[in-house]
Amino acid sequence: MSEPGLRIERLHVRVEQKQILNGIDLTVEPGRVHALMGPNGSGKSTLAFALTGHPNYEIVSGTATLDGEDLLALAPDKRARAGLFLSFQYPSAIPGVKVANFLHAARQAVRPDSLPPAKFRQLLIEKMDVLGMDPSFMGRYLNDGFSGGEKKRLEMLQLAMLAPKYAILDETDSGLDVDALRDVGTSVNALRASDEGRNTGFLIITHYPRILQYIRPDVVHVMIDGRIALTGDAELANRIEREGYDTIREEIIARA
Amino acid sequence: MPEFSRFDQRVLGAGEREAALRAFETTPSHRGRPGSYWKIDLDALDFTGLDTDPGTGDVTISPVSGRGVIAVDLVTAARDHRDLFARAFGVALGAMPDKFAFLTRAFAQVGAFVYIPDGVSVDDPIAITYRTTSARFFPYTLVLAGAGARATVVERLTSDVPDTMIGSIAEIVTESGASVHFASVQDLRDDARVFATRVAAPGRDAHVSWATAELGAALCVTSNDVRFDHAGADAHIATLFFPTGSQHVDVVTNIQHNVGNSTSQTVAKTAAGDLGQGRFLGNIRIAAGAQHSNASLRDDALLLSKHAHIDSIPALEIAANDVRAFHGATVGAIDDEQLFYMTSRGITRDDAERMIALGFFEPAIEHFPTEALREQIRTVLAAKVA
Ligand SMILES: Nc1ncnc2c1ncn2[C@@H]1O[C@H](COP(=O)(O)OP(=O)(O)OP(=O)(O)O)[C@@H](O)[C@H]1O
Ligand SMILES: [Mg+2]
Repeated sequence: MSEPGLRIERLHVRVEQKQILNGIDLTVEPGRVHALMGPNGSGKSTLAFALTGHPNYEIVSGTATLDGEDLLALAPDKRARAGLFLSFQYPSAIPGVKVANFLHAARQAVRPDSLPPAKFRQLLIEKMDVLGMDPSFMGRYLNDGFSGGEKKRLEMLQLAMLAPKYAILDETDSGLDVDALRDVGTSVNALRASDEGRNTGFLIITHYPRILQYIRPDVVHVMIDGRIALTGDAELANRIEREGYDTIREEIIARA
Repeated sequence: MPEFSRFDQRVLGAGEREAALRAFETTPSHRGRPGSYWKIDLDALDFTGLDTDPGTGDVTISPVSGRGVIAVDLVTAARDHRDLFARAFGVALGAMPDKFAFLTRAFAQVGAFVYIPDGVSVDDPIAITYRTTSARFFPYTLVLAGAGARATVVERLTSDVPDTMIGSIAEIVTESGASVHFASVQDLRDDARVFATRVAAPGRDAHVSWATAELGAALCVTSNDVRFDHAGADAHIATLFFPTGSQHVDVVTNIQHNVGNSTSQTVAKTAAGDLGQGRFLGNIRIAAGAQHSNASLRDDALLLSKHAHIDSIPALEIAANDVRAFHGATVGAIDDEQLFYMTSRGITRDDAERMIALGFFEPAIEHFPTEALREQIRTVLAAKVA
């Protein structure tokens, strides 16, 4: 096996005939946390969808590998089984499909060694408790009639249950109240401390440094106009909070 | 003309049978015409052979005991429970607008009669199973619930022999304050033709709940009707169908609010795959005097292949001014975003489609009375998703 990591090289992506990503280079190593920030429309979600294989996102050139495996050659379900997970910015509602059945099918798919039903249920209740979710959610239809915050908690429940090798969190923190944000932090940190999740690498897309106080990033990237414009340490997130993106844009123009 | 004098005269006299057959021959189906999708002309079907072979089949009725509850075959009911039989037979059908109901009436002499005396509550579902064993079969289910009585009846229609034609009637009479939950599951061989009419006439403050699943047959034509002639009654109608292969399914619901203060809720969940063709016509009629009626109709159609097609037509005819009527409908394929969401969790595309399609039916499935029955329906539906 070649070098481990979620490795993205010179990735160019088009949506609806429009080029959005203009050569992304980024590597998330196992167990490490990368934050991805950037103004609205800069292409952060596009990167997340291109990596997970959304059919609307056309790879023009470049590569993406997961622990050496060519992600771009795989259908979305195979990418998930290879160990990739996306927490959606806007998760779909699927009426008639119960949360517990869906989670069981997903866990069964990505971890075929899976748990007997009683163990599965016990695990589910434990993880729901960490996220402050009432057990009655198990019997509800997937995201159907969920509030914005409830949807995000359910995304985090899926992350906890699937314990992927690499997780992309696309604005999981947006729209969460302070308690929910803390619960998300607790849940992610519990995963990172567990045997299953010890080596999970994270790419956390966010607009706010707040979530990064719960989940400390090793690296912070700034995406502007479909490129990684700047990479730094955790302090970069605070600087963006203070100064906005304009000074970063000016710096880049001055450097060029 | 068949020799109707050899039919059971206690169920229905020869003269009335002849009249019914004539009415069948002269009444138009009032169904849609064939077109580029739907291939079958329901007014030009071949019914030859009826005069020589009236056909038959097996009737199984789950035993019930005590408190005056009766569950027997139709001929026994007409012979031994004359007054009760007369209190219900033809009462809900009334003038019978449906062409195919005339056909079944002409040949009816096999079936089941269920009677629940006033105030009696039966918890366990009463199961009636019809199995065709010959080329034709005309089973008739008659349910009479006395004042304040409660019962659940589950009817199943199956076939073992090829190329059968089935005409069936289910007639539900609920007297004042009675409550009947009636479920029908049609899972005939895929070369069968079936014409089913189900009619309920709820009495004052009575409650009727229908749940129907049309799963089998090459051609399935059904009419599910509720006629409100008494105030305070309510009805819930849940219907689902899923033509695949080259199956054709045509379902009509007729909800007729003739008096006020009556409530109806209709839910139709329809899907089609392969070359499957479906038609759903949801009729709601609120008569001029029927103030404070409340009617809702929700129909959703899911298309699982390029060549499958469903015509979903609501028809609300409202002559009263102080009523509540709601209609909502959708038609479309499985949502790509839903599919992507599920597959992004490792679930294969096929499994995701199956789960989404089954989920689509769930609001109708949940109206079937037992978990075992619901599971059977889910199993058949799951096998039909490609
Ligand atoms: N399906 C699509 N059709 C057309 N344009 C699209 C589509 N998806 C993305 N885009 C465009 O691509 C650009 C990048 O969008 P993207 O969602 O990746 O931004 P983002 O960085 O995630 O923004 P935000 O912070 O607002 O979530 C935008 O201009 C957007 O309008
Ligand atoms: Mg985004």
